[in-house]
Amino acid sequence: MKPLWSGVVLVVAAVQLGLAWDGIPVLFGLSVVAGYGALLLKRWMPAGLAVLTMLVLGFAGGYFACREAVPGRSDPTQVLLDSVPRLLTAARPAPSTPELLTPGLLLVFGTSVVVSVAVSRKSSLFAPALGASVLYVAGALLTAGRTDRYGLVALLLVLLLAVGWLIADRRGPIAPPVGFVLALLALVAIVLPRGDAFEPRKLIRPPVTDVAVANPLPQLASWAALGDTELFRTRGPEVPMRLMTLSDYSGATWEASSTYGPLGVVSAPDLPLGSRTLDALVDVQIGALAGEWVPGVGKPSSVSLSDAMVEPNSGSLVLAEGVRTGLRYTVRGVLDTPQDESLATATVPSGPEVRRYLALPHLPFSLADYARQIVVNARTPYEKAVAIEQVVRLNRRPDADAPVGSSYARLETFLFGAPGSAGAQAGTAEQFASSFAVLARSVGLPTRVVVGFQPVPASPTGDRIVRAADATAWPEVYFTNWGWVPFDPVSGNGSGPSAASKREVLNRLASTTAQPPPPSASLPPLALPSVAPAPVPSPVVSSGFQPLWLLTVLLVPLLLWGLRFARRMRLRLAGPPGAWAYVLDALLLAGRSPAASRTAPDVARGLGPAGGRLAVLADRAAFSPDAPAAPEAWSLARTAARQVRRTVPWYRKLLWSLDPRPLWRR
Amino acid sequence: MSTAIGDGEVLAFRDLHTRLGDAVETAVRGKRDVIDLVLVAMFAGGHVLLEDVPGTGKTTLARAVAGALGGVSRRVQFTPDLLPSDVTGTSVYDPQTGQIRFRPGPVFANIVLADEINRAAAKTQSAMLEVMEERTVTVDGVGHAVPDPFLVVATQNPIDLDGTYRLPEAQLDRFMLRTSIGYPSVDDELDVLRPGSGAGRISGVRTVSSPREISEFSRRLSLLHVADPILRYISDLGAATRSDGRLRLGASTRGLRVLVRAVQVYAASRGRHFAVPGDVQDLASPVLAHRLVLTRESVLSGTTTDEVLSDVLATVPVPKPA
Repeated sequence: MKPLWSGVVLVVAAVQLGLAWDGIPVLFGLSVVAGYGALLLKRWMPAGLAVLTMLVLGFAGGYFACREAVPGRSDPTQVLLDSVPRLLTAARPAPSTPELLTPGLLLVFGTSVVVSVAVSRKSSLFAPALGASVLYVAGALLTAGRTDRYGLVALLLVLLLAVGWLIADRRGPIAPPVGFVLALLALVAIVLPRGDAFEPRKLIRPPVTDVAVANPLPQLASWAALGDTELFRTRGPEVPMRLMTLSDYSGATWEASSTYGPLGVVSAPDLPLGSRTLDALVDVQIGALAGEWVPGVGKPSSVSLSDAMVEPNSGSLVLAEGVRTGLRYTVRGVLDTPQDESLATATVPSGPEVRRYLALPHLPFSLADYARQIVVNARTPYEKAVAIEQVVRLNRRPDADAPVGSSYARLETFLFGAPGSAGAQAGTAEQFASSFAVLARSVGLPTRVVVGFQPVPASPTGDRIVRAADATAWPEVYFTNWGWVPFDPVSGNGSGPSAASKREVLNRLASTTAQPPPPSASLPPLALPSVAPAPVPSPVVSSGFQPLWLLTVLLVPLLLWGLRFARRMRLRLAGPPGAWAYVLDALLLAGRSPAASRTAPDVARGLGPAGGRLAVLADRAAFSPDAPAAPEAWSLARTAARQVRRTVPWYRKLLWSLDPRPLWRR
Repeated sequence: MSTAIGDGEVLAFRDLHTRLGDAVETAVRGKRDVIDLVLVAMFAGGHVLLEDVPGTGKTTLARAVAGALGGVSRRVQFTPDLLPSDVTGTSVYDPQTGQIRFRPGPVFANIVLADEINRAAAKTQSAMLEVMEERTVTVDGVGHAVPDPFLVVATQNPIDLDGTYRLPEAQLDRFMLRTSIGYPSVDDELDVLRPGSGAGRISGVRTVSSPREISEFSRRLSLLHVADPILRYISDLGAATRSDGRLRLGASTRGLRVLVRAVQVYAASRGRHFAVPGDVQDLASPVLAHRLVLTRESVLSGTTTDEVLSDVLATVPVPKPA
């Protein structure tokens, strides 16, 4: 009974831990079962030796699993020792590779070996609670509590432990309160810090490499000139292919990030993915494309190129030696797919983590003022973004021959230049995207620019041939809970999934249109540097917070009622002594708990004839060598308890079935 | 037969106990609880010390019990000049047979009333107490067994202490229980005073049993079941008396053993073939109180061992049925 119960508790905790890996949590459950093999060993050898043998077996298994896991690392011990930092820097959930799975499986195995042996000994019912806590906390640390957002698994564990204690263990007077409090503490520890969960990954610096990667924006013009040249072809869903994401703007140019790490071993992005995402798998075959940039999709989670590196925040893929014609690979990525109606009211984050997406060193006054005018009627961040997209697009034409560049000066010419002058009101996607990004940043929208390729319809063979003319750039704005949302200031809002919502916003804003400054001001005065523009005030409270507390408020009484019910069932099955304990519970609830030195018949004197008869039955069952069955004991107990209950005021009757105090009484 | 005692046997004993009690009560009115205690001591093979003022029916009680069980009862009035041989008996020369013959003393009876035992000299007291313990009298190297059952009911006058020899603790320990009869209630006293009521008349006490039956029950009742939690409770009580600051001497292991024996008989007299914590609580004071020795300070502050014992009973947790 006890090994079974503790096994169930451990399996639940182990499967919860297993969710931190991208694979089958069943492995973790099996690991628990394997750990219980120690019980078999214990028949032939002392418990300590059995534990030692099992642990040696486990570590030997881990050693062989890691032997060939990492190419170029011949020492499996080193791989094993490295596996925890690797795990903490791996993607989330961690890929199911042997060297990453091994520490988790070993933890589960070791815990179950120790717990199984401890439980089979006499007085160690504390062990399952401790083991489950270890596994649960490990899982919570690995995922920062994301796999159990509402603490339901923790609650299930507490419930299992409590029920086990009530049913399997009727002796230990200390263990249940201690275990219960521990479990409750663990629950609170998981539930409370959700706003700012402890993140062990912050303690580990992920391995990164400095790679000098060129900014592909200037390439846009030359690609436009190449026209129909096939750069690469893909097979998979119709999604935009990304080449490089540019997050840093110096006022003169966009800069490509230079910090890259192996995919799967880099830290989490500075801004998390949205809550609604799509997984896309694309096969790519490189054609005429050259350079270090590797076309990817969304935020890549895996790529079949073993030496590809990724920029942790944007997910841009690069290959140090550059791509070559004929290179084939498969890339899997996650795309944010926000809901239009929710976007309309979405907020944008503020704070240090978005500072780089708002940076505009030495922003000219003309651009800042222009942006302010554009959004003067917009109420939400999304409306601001749509208004800017519309204004940038309006009356400006794409021109492949326009001068390149994304400096403030080039953007001012692009936006305000008198028609006729070079680059005025005309530009490539570079100017459209950059203008949008600068204007949006100046009104507090975290924005970045992506260089990539438009989605291409599939040819009859199923291949999507991406040509040089499909190269483009587009800005993306980050919305809380929804991730990076792309905008298209080049072709506007005519099509696409968010077209309807954009039209709605534009209709509302139609009454006002921003006016460019008078043409006489050919050189607008420069504004003071505004590195961090006034952020848009946004509510910080996350939407998942309230239901959690509501759930807790509802679950706690339910849990208490369940525990009391389980106790009642147990007492009912325990014959007259159980029935007498039920009466004592009632007395405790009524505040009339008798002194420990009073005998049952003495206590029963105030409980009417039913209480008296029950006390005699209970004494007989407890102290006589041949206690006969007494089926009437329970009904006597209920009569006596009812009599006790009648004497308490109504407000105590309300909480009668939920009061946890009897749970502490043995 | 050495198997555990069953329900039927216990009920037979309860009947006998009730009959004996009823018979004794025809002579001693309104003192059923004391009668029961004396009967418990008799069946448990112990002796009773009655601490009471004269005229409360001590002698009547002892003689009525003897009458009810159909045995022999004798009375010894202890005085300072009483010699041990006056109690135990002596060897005399029989001129007719020309042989030395043992002439039994008054202790050769089923019920011996040792009146005012504290008035005798220490030597005589100790001879009496030795008989109580050994149930044999040794004269001139020859052992003479006293009859079975053998119950000594000793009395002690707690008021008039001039010229008395206080029983030492070691000897008090020989008494299974100490109690007092006390004065009767008004109704009972009127009943006693009413002419022709029969109270105090030993000849009216019916004989309802035989010494043999008593001995048999006494032997069987020692097998009555006492559960381990009860024994632990008794042990806890003993430990609590030993650690009580008001006592110089707590309950001895012999005292606790005697309590167990008394509890067995008491439980059976209530018709149960097992003991419950209530039995222990009922008997703790009569069985243990006279074995406890107060510290000098407690004596001076007027504390009694009964008070200490009731405090101990109120603090030691009873074994719970649940």
